[in-house]
Amino acid sequence: MIKTATTTLLFSLFIFSFSQAQMERTRANPDGPVDETFLTKNIGGLGTVQLLGKGDLNSMIQHNFGDVRGGIDTFFGVDEGANVRIAFGYGLTDDINIGIGRTSEEDNIDFGVDYRILHQTKSDRIPVSVVLKGNMGITTGEKTYDPSLTERLNYLGSLMLARKFNDNFSFQISPMVSHFNTVVKREANEELYNTVFGLGFTGRFKLNERKSISFEYLPVIGDRISDTKNHAAIVYELETGGHVFQMFFMSGRWFTEQHLLTRTQTDFFEPNFRFGFNVNRVFGLL
Amino acid sequence: MKKLFLASLLLVLSVSFVSAQSFKTEEGKATFYSKVPLHSFEGNSEKLVGLVNLEDGTIDFYIDLETLDTGNGKRDKDMKLTLETKKYPFAEFFGKLDSDFDPESSSVQDVSVKGTFKIHGEEQEIEVEGTLQLTDEGLHVTAGWILSLLDYDIEPPKILFIKVDKDQEIKIDALLKPVEG
Repeated sequence: MIKTATTTLLFSLFIFSFSQAQMERTRANPDGPVDETFLTKNIGGLGTVQLLGKGDLNSMIQHNFGDVRGGIDTFFGVDEGANVRIAFGYGLTDDINIGIGRTSEEDNIDFGVDYRILHQTKSDRIPVSVVLKGNMGITTGEKTYDPSLTERLNYLGSLMLARKFNDNFSFQISPMVSHFNTVVKREANEELYNTVFGLGFTGRFKLNERKSISFEYLPVIGDRISDTKNHAAIVYELETGGHVFQMFFMSGRWFTEQHLLTRTQTDFFEPNFRFGFNVNRVFGLL
Repeated sequence: MKKLFLASLLLVLSVSFVSAQSFKTEEGKATFYSKVPLHSFEGNSEKLVGLVNLEDGTIDFYIDLETLDTGNGKRDKDMKLTLETKKYPFAEFFGKLDSDFDPESSSVQDVSVKGTFKIHGEEQEIEVEGTLQLTDEGLHVTAGWILSLLDYDIEPPKILFIKVDKDQEIKIDALLKPVEG
């Protein structure tokens, strides 16, 4: 009798404590997409899978200067003048970005589209992010000849595959192809190709929530234009609330991959490179 | 044996009784308003999880802070950093009804609730005014209060340009469905 009463009491207490208990706290979206594989859409000159959210407008100013080998006479290249690209990117949706840029070198105006095919998930159900990137440039500067509009065009196609391995390290491989409708021979024995292939490697080591060290390396695969080298850069990234600053040493002179593949003439590992910096600012338009 | 049967019956009855008086949602709305001239914004989530037990008056709500959307990816990121959502992913309230509620009425009833609100790893005892209404669909809950960021040791990192009001207005609105027994 007493035993049964005790059991009943225990049961009642159990029920009471059960009804008093808090719900278990569970995350709302454990299989959601990973965020911040990279800080911005660009590292130095190479694109990343990091797209702008829907309605976000990113304004970007990219600069680099002359070779640091100029030493103090050229203030390590700064006196040689800057190549500047001013660009705007916009998130049509979370997965489709469009952009326009203008590079002072050759007065190249470029139009770009990024389309995200896959987005890595926190649960690893999708282990990588995949973004298809297209860019078309028009060289509007004066030439020694009179090219048609078609002859002024250059293109890039890139398939960016990236994985955020953990909170502190992300890595991306980007097979790409560039095509120039016109290539101009300046020396008799110069080897020129309209189409050049490359394989971009990009990585980011996060130092803390605000700072990271990133790198990019873009070897040409197959035929390369005479006297060109593989582009490489090492980048220090600093994020403030409104801006992302990227300071780097890079070998390439350009900020568009089709030009980095075909115009880079300094060898990062010689070592020879130039100082540069990007400033990114995102505005929410919606 | 008979006693054991009675005990079991009591258990079953208790469970069904509790269930009949419990209401739950995982899709409640939560909104916060930060009002600073030229920098006003609001954040919304429709992933508020709530459980109300009218039998014992317990109220349990929580939200995954990473579901809050301010309409700007950059600002969302700054907000998550400020709230340290990786370390403290939830804002939660657990308390009890502190006023009478008539379960027979289907009109909107003003209620007050006392309990513990926890965010950013800090807890405060708070009292919240709200309304409860029993409808055919379930229990409609609304509430609002002012959250002072300083009470919870929440301070935007100095490096951020984000400007936030130190007093944030919080509103919740949820329709809780009866929990099936």
